[in-house]
Amino acid sequence: MIRGYEVVIGLEVHAELNTATKIYCSCKNSFGLEVNTQVCPICMGMPGTLPTLNEKVVEYAIKMGHALNCGINRISKQDRKNYFYPDLPKSYQISQSDIPLCHDGYLDVVMGNDVKRVGIERIHIEEDAGKLLHSDKFDGSLVDFNRCGVPLIEIVSKPDMRSSDEAKAYLETIRSILKYIDISDCKMQEGSIRCDVNVSVHKPGEPFGTRCEMKNVNSFSAVVRGIDYEANRQIDVIEAGGKVEQETRRWNDAKGESETLRSKEDAQDYRYFPEPDLLTIVVPQEKVQYLKDTLPELPNAKIMRYIKDCGLSYSDASMIVDVPEKSKLFDDCMAIGCKSPKIISNWILGEISKLMNDGINLFETPLTPEKLVKIADYISSGKISTASGKIVFDAVMQSDADIDKVIEEKSLAQVSDTNELESLAKKVISENEKSVTDYKNGKTNALGYLVGQCMKASKGKANPGIMKEIVLKLLQ
Amino acid sequence: MLGRGEISSEELVKSQYERIEEVEPKVDAYLTLDRDNAIARAIEIDKLRAGKEKLPALAGIPVGVKDNISTKGIRTTCASKMLENYVPVFNATVVEKLKENGAVITGKLNMDEFAMGSSTENSYFKKTKNPFNVSCVPGGSSGGSAAAVSACEAVVALGSDTGGSIRQPASLCGVVGLKPTYGSVSRYGLVAFASSLDQIGSFGRCVKDVALLQDVIQGYDKMDATSANRSYASLYENLNSNISGLKIGIPKEYFGEGIKAEVKEAVMRSVNELERQGAIVKEISLPSTGNALSAYYIIACAEASSNLARFDGVKYGYRCENPQSLMDMYERTRSEGFGREVKRRIILGTFVLSSGYFDAYYKKAKLMQQRISAEFDSAYNDVDVIITPTSPFEAFRFGDKIDDPIAMYSADICTVTVNIAGLPAVSIPCGYSDVGLPYGLQIIGRRFDEQTILNTALAHEQCFGEFKSCKL
Amino acid sequence: MDNISIDIKHIAKLARLKIDDSELPRYESEMRDIIGMVNSMPDIEDSLIVDPNNAMELREDKLADDKLSRDVMLSNAPKVVAGCVVVPKVVD
Repeated sequence: MIRGYEVVIGLEVHAELNTATKIYCSCKNSFGLEVNTQVCPICMGMPGTLPTLNEKVVEYAIKMGHALNCGINRISKQDRKNYFYPDLPKSYQISQSDIPLCHDGYLDVVMGNDVKRVGIERIHIEEDAGKLLHSDKFDGSLVDFNRCGVPLIEIVSKPDMRSSDEAKAYLETIRSILKYIDISDCKMQEGSIRCDVNVSVHKPGEPFGTRCEMKNVNSFSAVVRGIDYEANRQIDVIEAGGKVEQETRRWNDAKGESETLRSKEDAQDYRYFPEPDLLTIVVPQEKVQYLKDTLPELPNAKIMRYIKDCGLSYSDASMIVDVPEKSKLFDDCMAIGCKSPKIISNWILGEISKLMNDGINLFETPLTPEKLVKIADYISSGKISTASGKIVFDAVMQSDADIDKVIEEKSLAQVSDTNELESLAKKVISENEKSVTDYKNGKTNALGYLVGQCMKASKGKANPGIMKEIVLKLLQ
Repeated sequence: MLGRGEISSEELVKSQYERIEEVEPKVDAYLTLDRDNAIARAIEIDKLRAGKEKLPALAGIPVGVKDNISTKGIRTTCASKMLENYVPVFNATVVEKLKENGAVITGKLNMDEFAMGSSTENSYFKKTKNPFNVSCVPGGSSGGSAAAVSACEAVVALGSDTGGSIRQPASLCGVVGLKPTYGSVSRYGLVAFASSLDQIGSFGRCVKDVALLQDVIQGYDKMDATSANRSYASLYENLNSNISGLKIGIPKEYFGEGIKAEVKEAVMRSVNELERQGAIVKEISLPSTGNALSAYYIIACAEASSNLARFDGVKYGYRCENPQSLMDMYERTRSEGFGREVKRRIILGTFVLSSGYFDAYYKKAKLMQQRISAEFDSAYNDVDVIITPTSPFEAFRFGDKIDDPIAMYSADICTVTVNIAGLPAVSIPCGYSDVGLPYGLQIIGRRFDEQTILNTALAHEQCFGEFKSCKL
Repeated sequence: MDNISIDIKHIAKLARLKIDDSELPRYESEMRDIIGMVNSMPDIEDSLIVDPNNAMELREDKLADDKLSRDVMLSNAPKVVAGCVVVPKVVD
């Protein structure tokens, strides 16, 4: 709710697929190569050329459909969307209009302790356009056709989101799924995911307001800014007694405002009709089923499982899930019966994340889930301290050392023998009469000091939990 | 003669060019000649022959190619100002197949601009004349191909047929023209007019030549998603003029008011002759025929409006002088680069697809297409081939119909149904008017049954006589 | 749809064609004739079929062996600068 209005948001996400070749020709699907070097007569739209549909594009779209709980149209087709623009060589985009590959799904977005379900209207396949480059050096625009024919899926949500935070969480979940099922590189800065936002506002209990479509929203944070700006703009219009006009707007992130791109009257007439150069897309039922059966566990489901079954916090769970390698390591550890998921989680988000940030590939190091579990279980049982754990971990990473040997050689095992610790504590207490008096006079932090002294006396090998209990007992 | 080594390919090709030089000033069939490459190619073929290697099917045969079929390194204009200087960087699949089979491409043949027209008068460059009477049109849109074969300026030629563009000019120029089943010849490299109706096909002076050329160009092509992946038997090897027991359907709707009486008579004389040879003739009905032309123009123009949108002055082809803005460049490039008929069809096609009209026009036409196809399917339960006139009238004079689109469109009245249903059909000469202009009849077959229509055509040819050349 | 009048100017704009006012009447009357012919088609109460028997084969996701150079690909372009096609400045 903003200023007493409910905000209604729907998103159209365009994701570039990471296939080897383009959607309708065998050119390389790549980013950042020299201008106009990844083109052929087909993607340049030369007269007489014809498209042929890349089978991987169909598979990837159906995978995403399954991930978003969609119905799959086993029989579908492609259509032409006609408009003139210099980056569109054929002057039409091959897309899908009335029969998308996937339809009517939903996505459960985990937000803290809540789960927000967002409806999915459809997912369809289409081709990307080229790029216009502008130079101040001369009077004109330059066209680079390399991106023409890069495969896209367009994921259209239902108008189910009610705040910019929900929209952001939805987008993050979509991105995470795209990565998990490995169909897109999801590089926002390379434009491999782009987003159009539909926003309307209305008073609670009243019908939905007129919506505006906002284009050019190029980052997740811009989505938040754009939605908040647009909702406030519409509320301003209504509050001033005006009417929100249906129009296409454009988000200017630098200025932090949206501006009119086209009014409803200038709406493009795309003249969709069935693409006559392509026949029916028929996907066998077995293939649809296979793509469903081979889908990995999805990140939103994982987050829920980590919270419910492993006792992780939402933020830890989502940070692990955010990186598929981390999540795989965590899952592998759980699979071999780790009894201390929280310690594993701390290690993954601590030491291991540091290593990964340094560019280390986890799967090329001597660290195995078995070893990590062993270290964690030793820490959990008190056999070694967390600090010693780090020493063991480093030894494993450096030389694939045997964990038990390292503990023995470096005498890292904690002393948990109560008799031994009690005599040590008695000695420390007798040497620190002042602290004992302080403690008895109610200065509770004196306890910490005494335990600390005991730990020091044990050269750090005492199990701090047991040590504390003993000191407490002796003081009473 | 070639096979027996009585004449070399080089001699044959050179004599072909002599013939072209002799009659081309009167006929104007070619837009571009490729003499030097053709002769070089012929010399290569002669070397192969000397080496006693097995020669491919069309070794050394001069073949003309319609100028909407992409030829690498040879300009491909579609007879339009828009593509006056456009030189393709790739070959159409059919051109690759011609080359693999030893054909010698003589040059590129005139046509109606972007294959839109029935007289070849819509060419931006020149008017091709009918070799039977140079004050008459050769038909269209493949008028250059028909005239070149008719005037012996090529042995065979490729054309394209969207609504009759092979069969109608074949009929008007007294030659054989085959429009194959949709999907049997790759369209890759054919500059699209109406993708769902376009099909490349062959012209020849006799049925055997057409069968031979069709054998070379037919077949599945993975570059064309609409091409049919099936086995294609040799038509030439299986030619057989015994038509005893063949069931011929005569649809009454094709012999109605719009068809000239002399044309109907000529066609029925031929049908009677086929009956004498053992065929069984039955009258049939294809009730939706009268709606075919309307459905055809909607579908063809809708697709054309989209297919021709790529000619925008950006990547290739004509660009207007000193564009003031992007919109100015688009509008002037397209208005100056396209001729009237092309613009007319783009406007019609844009209109029928525009917001609010799709259901009333495009969808309605597609439903009519489904109905027309179904009527043919049911007719083929009872007959093997269907015979109709090809054109409602013989060749007409230049300028006679060019200012009346409806009159010009009616030239396709007997042929468009075949494209709408995706069927194969061949036009063969079946008589001459009192001033010696040819009449043609059309034999329509079941989908992928080119063999039966060519066998029927051969049976007809054997009694009617082979190509009657005209004096130029 | 019998007495439909077509806004030729609007349609021409969509198609990026410039029609002079002097040409308008001719286009209008021609379009009227053609639309008149087309309107004689009967209505068919049916829906368009997407025919599963008319399926296409899909292409394997494999890079092409041959590649044309940029110079070749741009050899027909009206204006090229720095390996790019040049168009009048696009303001959007």
